[in-house]
Amino acid sequence: MAEWPKAGGRVESGGLLTAVRKLFNLALGIVTSIGGFVEVGSISTSVQAGAEFGFSLLWAIAVAALFLAALVEMAGRVAAVSKRSMAAAVRERFGFHFQIIPLGAELIIDVLLLTAELGGAAIAVKMLTGIGFQWWVLPVGLVAWLVLWFGNFSVIEDGIGFLGMVTLSFVIAAWRLHPEAGQVLWGFVPSVPHHDVTRYAFLVVSIVGATVSPYLLNFYSSGAIEEKWTQQDLWINRSTAWLGVGFGSTVAMGCLVTAAIVLGPQHVKVETYEQAAQMFVPVYGRWAVTLFALSLGIGCFGAAVEIALNVGYVLGQAFGWTWGIDKKRRDVCRFVTAFSVVLLLAVLIATIGFDPLRVTLISVALTVVIMPLVVLPFLVLMNQEEYAGQHTSGPIGNGFLATLTVLGALMAIVVIPLEILGG
Amino acid sequence: MVDVVRDVLDKSVIDRNGREMGRVDGILLDVEPNQPARLTAIVIGPAALGDRLHPSLGRFVRRIEQWCGLDRTRPTHIEFAEIDHLAAKVQVRVTISDTAVGAIEQRLRAWVLRLPGAR
Repeated sequence: MAEWPKAGGRVESGGLLTAVRKLFNLALGIVTSIGGFVEVGSISTSVQAGAEFGFSLLWAIAVAALFLAALVEMAGRVAAVSKRSMAAAVRERFGFHFQIIPLGAELIIDVLLLTAELGGAAIAVKMLTGIGFQWWVLPVGLVAWLVLWFGNFSVIEDGIGFLGMVTLSFVIAAWRLHPEAGQVLWGFVPSVPHHDVTRYAFLVVSIVGATVSPYLLNFYSSGAIEEKWTQQDLWINRSTAWLGVGFGSTVAMGCLVTAAIVLGPQHVKVETYEQAAQMFVPVYGRWAVTLFALSLGIGCFGAAVEIALNVGYVLGQAFGWTWGIDKKRRDVCRFVTAFSVVLLLAVLIATIGFDPLRVTLISVALTVVIMPLVVLPFLVLMNQEEYAGQHTSGPIGNGFLATLTVLGALMAIVVIPLEILGG
Repeated sequence: MVDVVRDVLDKSVIDRNGREMGRVDGILLDVEPNQPARLTAIVIGPAALGDRLHPSLGRFVRRIEQWCGLDRTRPTHIEFAEIDHLAAKVQVRVTISDTAVGAIEQRLRAWVLRLPGAR
């Protein structure tokens, strides 16, 4: 169990200032959790779900957020206790023979997702300027690289998180459209629709795949190490994981509710972001496209920076390189080369002209396919004192992880047929 | 008695000055009949990882490294006698500069240092 600071802990010994600073960091962590959570995958799946099935898929976002929050909390716990990120812990505990499969899959997913995020950000600029999105992929990629090259962890995490506050426009739009509370609450009860059951199931799996991205887990645990968390910070970890993911999922739910109210009655199947932007018109009028473009652009750009950085993290940790975005670049040459190369690769793929929405769907499906291999290590690591110290999982945590592993395996089996039939 | 797979293989390696050298990508064992196997050296480098997956992959990685003009002593072997202690990490008595472990990092540094803000 994570514990709140007690007498003799860091809060009291550091005095009021330390306590205030810690609370500020906690609030910052929760607010900035939007960065990385609200991105191309969550926006596109939420809009499609709302437009096609009304509020009835709200439960899928809630369940996916529950999965993510629990896994993120565990990843942070392992990092704070053992000083190992997930990639490092998996290499040491399971060996390279096991790790090569989830590592390889995660790298492929990261490249695809990064391509989609750059494409999403470029489409956002296109919506603002009217100039074709492929012209914007390279500038967006260059700005992302400059942020990574000159920035530090705080700048990347907090800066992007604060800019990501613009995505609250989804929640405000939903609020101002005055959805009927009873209907919204019914959306949290899983149900079988009267039409397009395959499409419904496909969207459920897609929402889970778009939410529980492997990069988020390793990025979070790497961040815990960058910020030098200790066991005294476990309460920050727990609060950030649950409240932060809750905050991010509220934005995704706002997106779904807005799409359900505005696009639902029009019976449109959303296939472009320009179509999706129309859902802001009743609330924001002539500012609709601008606000949607800013929300999409900043969300995608933030996720792109985090995904590229995560590739540096995951490779550095798996292969034992010196890594860290706060270190001098000359001391972490392989690490900076890794994030630079993956960014360049994604820019090239996006420039060739792959449709960002299609690339998103492929990466989401792949995420679901490898989910059992991502979740299974948690079940082992969270039961070993070497990695979790005195904070190993109890029966509830283990039961949750076992359920998630089985559900992940089931979704992995059905995702490809669903992608073909319902995607 | 040490379980080399559990306690040594894939662990992080730290040099005499506390710098990260990489991970234990392979191990060399001395196997005598009717005797327990003895750890003679740890191996660091992507070619050793390639060997673990498939010998032809290891050869392929070596060929690429040679084509790039990297040191022929790679992957790096560190004798058992040079291991200081085994714990969560493997501490060794040599330094990175004594070995070819840092060859790729050094090669990349020449490029990285040309960019503004690298120092």
